[in-house]
Amino acid sequence: MSALGGGGGGEGMDPVGLGIGLVVALLSVVIVYILAPTTAVFALIGVIIGGALIGFGIHFVPVGGAPAAMGQSPGIATGVAMLATGAGLAGLFGGAWAAELGFGVALAGGAIGGGLMMAITCLMVNVVYVYGMGIPAASGKVDKDPITGDTFPAYKSQGTEGHGLPFISYVGGVIGGMFGGLGGTLIYLELLEVYKETLPQILSAGAEDVIPIAVGLAGIFAVGMFLVNAVLSAYNITGTIEGPHDPKFRRFPRAVIACAIASAVCGMVAIMLVAM
Amino acid sequence: MTVEISASEGGIPHNNFLGIGLVGSVVCLYLAYLNVFTGMDVFSVFGGIAAVFALWWGTDTIKNLCSYGLGTGVPSAGMLAFGSGVIAMLLATRLEIISPLVIPVGAVVIAAILGAIIGIVADKIVNMHIPVMVKALTEMAIVGALTLLGLTAMASGSFVFSELVAGTALINVGGTMIELPSFAASALGGCVLATLFMLGAIALQHPFNACLGPNESQDRTQMLALECGFLSMIPVAVISFVFISSGAALIGFLVSVIGWAYTYMEFIKLSKRDAYMWLDGKPILEKGGE
Repeated sequence: MSALGGGGGGEGMDPVGLGIGLVVALLSVVIVYILAPTTAVFALIGVIIGGALIGFGIHFVPVGGAPAAMGQSPGIATGVAMLATGAGLAGLFGGAWAAELGFGVALAGGAIGGGLMMAITCLMVNVVYVYGMGIPAASGKVDKDPITGDTFPAYKSQGTEGHGLPFISYVGGVIGGMFGGLGGTLIYLELLEVYKETLPQILSAGAEDVIPIAVGLAGIFAVGMFLVNAVLSAYNITGTIEGPHDPKFRRFPRAVIACAIASAVCGMVAIMLVAM
Repeated sequence: MTVEISASEGGIPHNNFLGIGLVGSVVCLYLAYLNVFTGMDVFSVFGGIAAVFALWWGTDTIKNLCSYGLGTGVPSAGMLAFGSGVIAMLLATRLEIISPLVIPVGAVVIAAILGAIIGIVADKIVNMHIPVMVKALTEMAIVGALTLLGLTAMASGSFVFSELVAGTALINVGGTMIELPSFAASALGGCVLATLFMLGAIALQHPFNACLGPNESQDRTQMLALECGFLSMIPVAVISFVFISSGAALIGFLVSVIGWAYTYMEFIKLSKRDAYMWLDGKPILEKGGE
C-alpha cells in the first residue's frame, strides 16, 4: 500500500494477456483496413509506432517523485506521468508548429522540442539541488557514472537512495524527451493527414476550410493518446527510475508492447471518427 | 522511501456512487439535449450538472483504485481517464449519423470498451496485478467521456459533431461586418475541447489527492469533488458566452457560482469538523493602522 516505489511490476508478461492484447491490436488494424481508406492503415501503423516510441522514451527520463523533493532519491521531483506529459506536449507543440514544413522537419522539430524541454528542466533541477538544497549529485544504483566515470559512493548520504541529478540521468532525460516528442508528433502528423484527406467530404467543404477542424481533432487525439501511453509506462516503472542505467530500465519491452496495443485501439477509434 | 496512501473504509458503497453517477450524468445529458427540441439553449446548464455527477462518481473510483498503491501518484489515474475519455467521446459525437439521441449512451459503451482494453493491458501486460484495475479503468474512461460530453454541451449548447464544427465569425467586408460560417470559430476548430479537457482532468484528480491520508473521510472527499466540479463549470460558463445566447450563458454562470459557493462552504465545515484544531487566521495589524 505505498504510493511510490512499491508493489506491482514483477518481471515477465502474462502469456494469456499478451495473446489477447496482440489479437486486439491486430483486430484494430483489420477493422481500419475494412472500413477506412487504405492510407488510413498506414496512418494507424504510424500511430502504433508513435505510441511504442513514447513508451520506450519514458523509461529514459529520471523520475524522482516525492522522495527527490526531499533530496532522498535521485531524479526530477515529480511523477512519471507529469514529467512525460510535459516533455511530450512540448515536443508535440514544436512538431505541430513545423507541420507545414514537411514530414521530416516536423518530426525533427518534435524531437528537439521534447529534448529541449527536458534539457532545461534537468539543468534547472540541478541548479536547485546544488545551490538551493546544497546536495551533490550521486546515483544510488551504480557506483560509477557510465559516461563521465565520476564515482558516487563517497558523496551519497547515509539512509538515502542517492540524490541530485547525475550526468547519466541528464543525458537519459534529454534522450527520453526526444523520443517522447518524436512519438507524439508522429501520432499527430499521421492523424492530421487522415483528417485532411477525409474531412472535406464529410463536412462538404473545401480542403483549406477544414484545416482548423483537422488540426483541432488531430491535436486533441494526440494529447489523449500521449497521456494513455505515458500513464501505462508510468505504471510499468512503478515509482522512481534514475535513467538508462537503472535496473528498472530493463522492463521497457513490456511498456513498448502495452503502448503499441493501447495506441492501436485508440488509433482505430480516432480513425473510425472519419470512416463512419 | 514510501508514501502511505490511506483511505477511509465503509461509508456509502462504491456501487451506489456508480449507479447514481452514471444514471444522473446520462439523464442530465438528455436534459441538455432538450435544447434541440425546444429551440432554446437554456438547457445547456444541465451539461455542466452531468459533468459534476460524473466527477463525483469518478472521485470514488479513483479512491478505490489508488488505495492499492499504483506507484505513480493519484493524478496519473485522472490523466488516463481523460486521455481515453476524450477519444471515446469524440467518436460518440459522430453517432449522430444513427441518431443524436444515441450519443450519451454510445459514449458510455465506447468508453467502456476502450477502458476495458486499456485496463487489461495495464493489468496483464504491464503486470500491475491489481484486482480492481480493469473495472476501475473502465469506469474512469466512462467518467472522462461523460464529463467531457457534459462540459462540451454546456460550453457550446450541443454535443452533436455537425454542430460542434459549425461556428460563425464576424468578418469585415468593405467596412461592414457580416457573419460568415467559419470552422475556426467552432467549438472543435477553436480547440475549446483542450481547455475543457484540462478543466475536467484537474477536477477529477484533485479531490482524492488532496484529501488522502489517515484522516480521510468519504463525505469530505466527495464534497470536494462536487466543489471542484462546480469550480470547473465557472470557466466553462464564461466560455459559453461565445457560443450560446447571453441569457442562457448567464444562467449557467449563476448556477455554477452558487453551486461552487455552497459546496465550498460545506467543504470548509467538514474540514473544520475533521481537523484536530482550527485557528481562524487574521491579518497581522500594521503599526499605526486600524
